[in-house]
Amino acid sequence: MRKRATIVCSVALLLAGCGGGGPQGSSDSKLSGDRIVLGVLNDQSGVYLALSGTNSVKAVQMAIADFKAKHGGDAITDDITVETADHQNKPDIANTKAAEMYDRLSVDAILDVPTSSAALKVADVAKEKKKLYFNISGATTDLTGKSCNKYTFHYAYDTYMLANGTGKTVTEQGAKNWYIVYPNYAFGQDMEKSFSAAVTGAGGTIVGKDATPFPNDNFSTFLLKAPTLNPKPDVLGTMQAGGDLVNLVKQYNEFKLREKGVDLSVGLMFLTDIHSLTPAALAGTTYTDAWYWNFDAENRAFADRFLKETGSRPTFAHAANYSAALQYLEAVQAAGTDDADAVVKQLEGKDINDVFLRNGKIRAEDHRVIHDAYLAQVKPAAEVTEDWDYVKILKTIPAAEAFRTPSADCKL
Amino acid sequence: MSAFLQHTFDGLVSGAFLALLALGLSVIFGMLRVVNFAHGAFYMLGAVGTYLLLTEFGIPFWWALLVVPLALGAFGMAVERTLVHPLARLDPLYNFLLTFGLTLVLQDLVKLRYGTTSSPYGTPSALTGTVDFGLFDFPAYRVFVLSFAVVACVAVWWLLGHTRVGMLVRAATERPELTRALGIDVGRWVTPVFGFGIALAGVAGVLAAPMRAVNPLMGADLVIVVFAVVVIGGLGSIFGSVAAGFGIGLVQAWGESYLDQWPIVAQTSVFVIMAAVLLWRPAGLFGREEAPA
Amino acid sequence: MSVATQEKAKRPPSLLRAVAGAPRGLRWALLAAALAVTLWLPNGLYPAVAVDILCWALFAVAVDLLLGYTGLLSFGHAAFWGTSAYATGLVAIHAGVPFPVAVLAGALVAAALAAPIGYLAVRRTGIYFAMVTLAFAQMIYYIANNRRGLTGGENGLQSVPRELFGLDLTDAYYFYYAALPVVLLGLWAAWRIVHSPFGRVLVGIRDNPARARALGYPVHRYKLLAFVLSAFIAGLGGGLFAMAHRFVTLDTLHWTTSGKAVVMVVLGGIGTLWGGVLGAALLVRLEDWLSFSGFEAVGLVTGGLFIVVVLVFRRGLWGTAADLLRRRLNR
Repeated sequence: MRKRATIVCSVALLLAGCGGGGPQGSSDSKLSGDRIVLGVLNDQSGVYLALSGTNSVKAVQMAIADFKAKHGGDAITDDITVETADHQNKPDIANTKAAEMYDRLSVDAILDVPTSSAALKVADVAKEKKKLYFNISGATTDLTGKSCNKYTFHYAYDTYMLANGTGKTVTEQGAKNWYIVYPNYAFGQDMEKSFSAAVTGAGGTIVGKDATPFPNDNFSTFLLKAPTLNPKPDVLGTMQAGGDLVNLVKQYNEFKLREKGVDLSVGLMFLTDIHSLTPAALAGTTYTDAWYWNFDAENRAFADRFLKETGSRPTFAHAANYSAALQYLEAVQAAGTDDADAVVKQLEGKDINDVFLRNGKIRAEDHRVIHDAYLAQVKPAAEVTEDWDYVKILKTIPAAEAFRTPSADCKL
Repeated sequence: MSAFLQHTFDGLVSGAFLALLALGLSVIFGMLRVVNFAHGAFYMLGAVGTYLLLTEFGIPFWWALLVVPLALGAFGMAVERTLVHPLARLDPLYNFLLTFGLTLVLQDLVKLRYGTTSSPYGTPSALTGTVDFGLFDFPAYRVFVLSFAVVACVAVWWLLGHTRVGMLVRAATERPELTRALGIDVGRWVTPVFGFGIALAGVAGVLAAPMRAVNPLMGADLVIVVFAVVVIGGLGSIFGSVAAGFGIGLVQAWGESYLDQWPIVAQTSVFVIMAAVLLWRPAGLFGREEAPA
Repeated sequence: MSVATQEKAKRPPSLLRAVAGAPRGLRWALLAAALAVTLWLPNGLYPAVAVDILCWALFAVAVDLLLGYTGLLSFGHAAFWGTSAYATGLVAIHAGVPFPVAVLAGALVAAALAAPIGYLAVRRTGIYFAMVTLAFAQMIYYIANNRRGLTGGENGLQSVPRELFGLDLTDAYYFYYAALPVVLLGLWAAWRIVHSPFGRVLVGIRDNPARARALGYPVHRYKLLAFVLSAFIAGLGGGLFAMAHRFVTLDTLHWTTSGKAVVMVVLGGIGTLWGGVLGAALLVRLEDWLSFSGFEAVGLVTGGLFIVVVLVFRRGLWGTAADLLRRRLNR
């Protein structure tokens, strides 16, 4: 038996040495394979399906159509396709799929990738394969912090932007005392830290904060506690997301906290969350949005096209996927090649204005894409006159203030 | 003091869900020796069904509370006939595995059709207020949930104690060898009892719809806590399941409010208690040691 | 009566046994074919997928060691797979040792964790055992989620180095061959355990615990040892999985991961040992294919397939193949 194992091992090593099917070489053409392939890797079956998912693939296809229409015969190529895969929110699947996309499907740039662990993992893959990666639905600031790299760009939002936008702005508008509840995992803990700092920085006070189990379907302990705190909080700041947020909001209404004078602020909320919770349940709630479809005529025109394609209005993640795909194609066009290093050079430091990016800039220091953000408030049910038009924008947060300054942890 | 009472009340409410689910699990186990892994999925179907009745047919909460458990009970009976029964003569682990597969299928069917985003469901309008208990007030809907669950548990207890079927079920549940030895045929009650256990999960699901997020995975983690609850109470014991359900609800609520700097305590307390029970009384607090299956 | 004995009357426990009566040439031919497929695998499949199959194969074999040969269905083996993955990752990050050493260390940590859990769990049998292991695994999951400093919380443990005497193993293709010896070692260990006197006592306990006790065997202690050994092999798989993906996340500890391993064992055939390898290959390949196919309900397919196997196909792939082969040979 032992002898057999030895034979197996030596055969294995021999084969490995010969390298039966190692990585493939590259061609000399300006475009690898004479075409451009974009890869959308996201959750197409789980909790992030609605806010990004398959509709983001449609958004990327819209970007390709717009790029072709704009450049016509001058476009660097006519052959632009989209590959897509479902990572099921599992980082190991994201890892394999990302490598497979770059290696086998000759994807030039991967887009989207929600779920922090998957988002960070794909950044590793991009770095290793030296191919581009635009993260859109991931929230972790590590993408532009200790896990940043030359080929990774973080596009739409992050925990700092969300927490800082809401915490600072709402406090400045008069809500001084805060009670914060956050889910006890990395996203929640990051959010709480940034949020508390933003509130105190703007002159507010944190009268209490509690970590909640995750996932959790019963928040009554914390909701019972809120009005009994001294001084009584003006706002309950919740860092919950997804199903937990739905639970909390339901129970917030059940315990009638708004009637008891405790308003609600949410760390991360998507248009699809409001749609599923109904605006009535959330009326008056404030949160920071990266983009809103009915903000101005340009956004609305995009949203109308999107509605025709998909049957629903775009979330900011959809718009950001569109924008990232478009800006990548423009950069390839400008560079005249899809060579990753040349495209990165095109993108770094670039000022951009498009339907998603207002006063946008791709920071060269950490590849954070900064742009205007918005403090939004859910309208009272009576003011909702159109499906999906659920919020009003209270304030535009200028790009320079919306995001953190480049982190010292990031070495590209 | 009022805060303590509030937290206690709150613990009883979450305990009510655990008790209803554990009760159904125990009744099914008693009659069929099957641990139904899909119990959480049926709870989820109860909540999703409630939501669908309202959105697709305009049927309100109160009717759902009647219709959904009946429909799920019928569905449960169909599942017993077609899937569970063919494996009845084999090791019960096969049915545990089968219901695990069923869980995956049910979750994905709901996901495929309705997505994973949590669906909205309002509190029934008659119960949107609060009830004043003097020392504290509490949302009326929660008071209703607790009362309803207590009444349901007492009703089941009465049924088991005072009807012929009930006595058969209880005998089969709590003294399986003796019942069989006495030559009592429980065969024709197997299917209805399975359906009944599923209907109880359905009741819990309907009650959950107005206060919890309704989505395909809402029962997935809950079922594991319910497993721990029945191990603590004693899988064969009807009373033990209900008592452990309420007890664990209380422990979790107290843990969350008084040890709030350590949220891990509230989350894992049920498993620590389970470990302690296994050491001290392997058959559960109210269970009875039986010959190894 | 246990799951494995259920079908015993109808089939031989393993393909090897079926082939035992076969001509020598056929035995060698089969073995050579299995070896050839194993060595060829990363050329036919995407190498990263092939590596995943190796890791899951170990996991499934570990679960079958308990289920098929000891009659204990562990629905919480992710606790050991995941704990080893984290331990392996941490050792690799902080000690910078060659990857097989890190994997071994991880598997030892998993085995150490299995001792107290097994001590409590083996007090129950059958369905209770499944529920208890499931509950303990969930507890480990919550703890890992809370110990963010150690585990990175839900961001996971990122950038685990993959080191082997300075060789460049970045490409999954080469890593497959580097990992193969560890996997074969683990499979060989499982095979040795099953065919040792210890393994035969386990089967005896499975089939008739009362008799084994009467014969003076310390039943609990035997089961506990089997549990720890199984956790060790699952740990080897988990450690390799951490190395294969070069990161570790909470998913490795989630109960759905335990469920996946059980599905593999049942697909391959309970109590066949190598059936788990087949089940792993099938399920990993199926999931990979589904996630590119645009079909969103992976659980629907695997769950449905699983139900069919449990209902009408309980011997699994390996058991059925062995049966067919035996019938052909006996004709």
